[in-house]
Amino acid sequence: MKEILKSFWQKLFGDSVRAFGVVSLVFLASLAIAPAKNFFSEWRHYQHGYLRMIRNRSDANTLQRHFQGGIQQIWLPELGVTDRCTSCHVGLKEAGLTDVGTQPFRKHPAIPHAIDQFGCTVCHRGQGAATTVAEAHNSTLAWEQPILPAKYIESSCGECHRGSVPGTPQLTQGRQLLSRYGCVHCHTVKRPDGSTMKPTDDPPSLSHIADKTSREWVYAWLKDPQAYATTATMPNFKLSDDDARDMSAFLIANSTPLPGDTATLTAKPASDPAAGPSLYGESFCASCHAVQNAAGNLVGGDVGPELTRVGSKVKPEWLQAWLRSPRVYDAETAMPHYRFSDPQVATLSGFLLAKADSDLLANVHLDAATPQQIAHGKRLVSDYGCASCHEIAGIKKPENFAPELSRIGSKPVTQLIFLPGMPHTLPDYIAGKIKQPRAFSPGLKMPQYSFGPAQIDALTTALLALNDRASTLPPSLTVPAVPESSYEPAGKAGKLMSDLACFSCHRINGHGGTMAPDLTWEGSSVQRQWLVEFLKNPNTLRPSLIRRMPRFNLTDGEVKELTDYMMTVYQSPSVDRDSMLLSGYTPGQIELGKQLFYGKYSCQGCHIVDTKTDKGYIGPTLTHVGSRLTAAWIFEWMKNPQALRPGTAEPNRAMSDGDARALTAFLISQKGGAKQEVAKK
Amino acid sequence: MAKTVDQYFDDLRGTRVWRSIFRSGTGSSTLKRALAIQQNVFLHLFSTKVRTRMLSFSATWYLGTLTLGTFLILVATGIPLMLYYHPSVPQAYADTKDLQFVVSSGLFLRNLHRWAAHAMVFLVFAHMFKVFYRGAYRAPREFNWVIGVILLLITLLLSYTGYLLPWDQLAYWAITVGSNIASAVPLMGNKIHFLLLGGNAVNANALLRFYVLHCMILPLTAMFFVAIHFWRIRKDGGLYSHASEPATLRARAASGAAAGKEAQ
Repeated sequence: MKEILKSFWQKLFGDSVRAFGVVSLVFLASLAIAPAKNFFSEWRHYQHGYLRMIRNRSDANTLQRHFQGGIQQIWLPELGVTDRCTSCHVGLKEAGLTDVGTQPFRKHPAIPHAIDQFGCTVCHRGQGAATTVAEAHNSTLAWEQPILPAKYIESSCGECHRGSVPGTPQLTQGRQLLSRYGCVHCHTVKRPDGSTMKPTDDPPSLSHIADKTSREWVYAWLKDPQAYATTATMPNFKLSDDDARDMSAFLIANSTPLPGDTATLTAKPASDPAAGPSLYGESFCASCHAVQNAAGNLVGGDVGPELTRVGSKVKPEWLQAWLRSPRVYDAETAMPHYRFSDPQVATLSGFLLAKADSDLLANVHLDAATPQQIAHGKRLVSDYGCASCHEIAGIKKPENFAPELSRIGSKPVTQLIFLPGMPHTLPDYIAGKIKQPRAFSPGLKMPQYSFGPAQIDALTTALLALNDRASTLPPSLTVPAVPESSYEPAGKAGKLMSDLACFSCHRINGHGGTMAPDLTWEGSSVQRQWLVEFLKNPNTLRPSLIRRMPRFNLTDGEVKELTDYMMTVYQSPSVDRDSMLLSGYTPGQIELGKQLFYGKYSCQGCHIVDTKTDKGYIGPTLTHVGSRLTAAWIFEWMKNPQALRPGTAEPNRAMSDGDARALTAFLISQKGGAKQEVAKK
Repeated sequence: MAKTVDQYFDDLRGTRVWRSIFRSGTGSSTLKRALAIQQNVFLHLFSTKVRTRMLSFSATWYLGTLTLGTFLILVATGIPLMLYYHPSVPQAYADTKDLQFVVSSGLFLRNLHRWAAHAMVFLVFAHMFKVFYRGAYRAPREFNWVIGVILLLITLLLSYTGYLLPWDQLAYWAITVGSNIASAVPLMGNKIHFLLLGGNAVNANALLRFYVLHCMILPLTAMFFVAIHFWRIRKDGGLYSHASEPATLRARAASGAAAGKEAQ
């Protein structure tokens, strides 16, 4: 063996010429490794694959012409983008590759931004400069930020678009959930523009809870809020029986009575099987409140609490006081002040109290509370941060009860503690925390929410958008949110409007809900007489809607107050109400308008003028539009609807003045004539 | 009769062009060969005569030559790297990424530079151990040992300044820690820290300062001391060999004379 090695050595390095030759060859071979690695690079491999793939396609010539070999790069210095993704993802911009499903050759789905102007990593993250798959997509020692999983991609939209942006349902939902489920009560969330996210869940004050409900219900609710109402936004704190007992003891003992609530029943709750549901329906309670029907489906809106088992919760005295005047108990409530008569209160309270679930409190038996239990309950109430959401007399709202989440999307993975078996990425961590908050460590206080997978993804998306980059973007690159204005109408009418909670549904001057039409220019758009009639007895304008304006039983004086205010104050500067007449159009004009309506513009696709022939259910019914809208408004609306109401579904048809005038004449003639004649008879 | 390769070289050396460049003429007499070394600005640093024994591997393990080799590799790779690198905060990291991903053989260039730097530090230490344990630092070579220590420091400084240039987290914090060590010097520590970084924190100034040190000042200083180092080898009587050191020879002569006397 030694001999063989020795002769081998002699052969290679026996004399200086051989040694020089051998060493040179070894050196040359090792030098060749670098260019060889360069030649057999991944991007070259993928580009060859792409060329092979397009060779047999019918559009091979076009694709071949578009194809550029070599390393491709999108360089946008102002965005800090140097993205070489297109070196492998060669078909991103090829509209013809719709049938290709394999990466990296798939075509990019249509988005409002051009790839050349934004690059790839602005939205997808990852390492844009890299030209190998592993370096570009994964988290490496030299690049912490891996590619963002596609299901959270909308979070990137939210970095620049601070307000809601169309086409990002998941992001919008996530942002709404953060407010809606009161996450932001405990976790401070400062948006990248500096504003603080406000909760929209309106948790009730607990200072007078004993007026409203029993200790047994409080106990059952604390144990499992979703057992009472599946839509309850209150999370489950996983309390032990003893803790729930003590907390309910404290909350009831801590409650002080309000004068109106404890008054004896002025009207005995009546159980009328016909009148109850009918009043509930007429008052459009279901616009805001949901009730589970026999099939287990929720029917109704989500502005107010679910009423499926309300009879097991509220005390009759409180319910009647509430129905009479909700603002006595809760000055900030979204509930309108219906002017119910005593018999109506009796009927409605009887109907609601019948919505009880005998199982809910069947097994709750609480002994009278001891002072020790009450003291322990008080400690628990402040330990669990109940006062972060609820107003509780004697307990201060804790500051920064939970970690701030304003930059959660940039939290380094190295600072996170993961559950065993969990992928070590930030999105997985956030989603896991929302799914099982208590699993991460014993003693954590965050309660268990009952979010579904879609909601968890939405929340994760919204949270990932809260990151360092979003907070440091120059203003020129951001699309600011339209801030909610603090508009409040003034005077007597203003008081009346807040009493009726108009802003729970309607929006005026950038303030209020979005369920019902924006009333900012209402004074320019409608005729006074119509508004008076509508407030007295609202009828529906849009046949396809289930949620409708309720009847508040207003007095004539109140109607006049409201009408005067709205007709005077809510005027658009671009529409002069009196510039066009409401009558006196020639039959020729009206006929021309009719032809335009049914012919050139096909308005009947969305609207109904003739109930016999038209089938449009998308826009408002126009059978009475002549007695509802002003001519000037119709004329301006025809010419540019978006200028009057941004975001309206009505398309801008770029009408000439002549067409608009003819259509106005036709529509103004639609005064629901037949019906009025019938009424006259 | 065909000429041999040596004859072709002799003809070349006899041409007018060659003679105008190299002052030593043809001929392989001892004088001519000595002149060829002595009259060349680069070669005159080296000994005109070297004992064959000193060229064997066991004499030096070639550690000094290998160190010079790595230094030359570092110069040769460092210059092309400079063509791709901007010592500025927004560009530095992106440039190292470009070297890795888009420059042809850029990664090879960078890795070769890095590994040669590691090897050079290792070889410098090995060289010094060899010199130390063989006792080659002793008279008359004390001064060359001092030069060697200076060269060791320059090598370490080259490594340290080069470490910041990729401008990644590793570099940033290494330099932060390193410069904080400097600020622990009594009395003037903070001044040194400020001077080193061109500020109070590792920032754009520090990057530029380290770049200039790494690519200009330190290599030039190193070359200057390397030249002295080589020149002193000649002046100190060539490479150390125990058998041919004057002291040994004197001792041998003395013992030889004594033996001769005894024989007489």
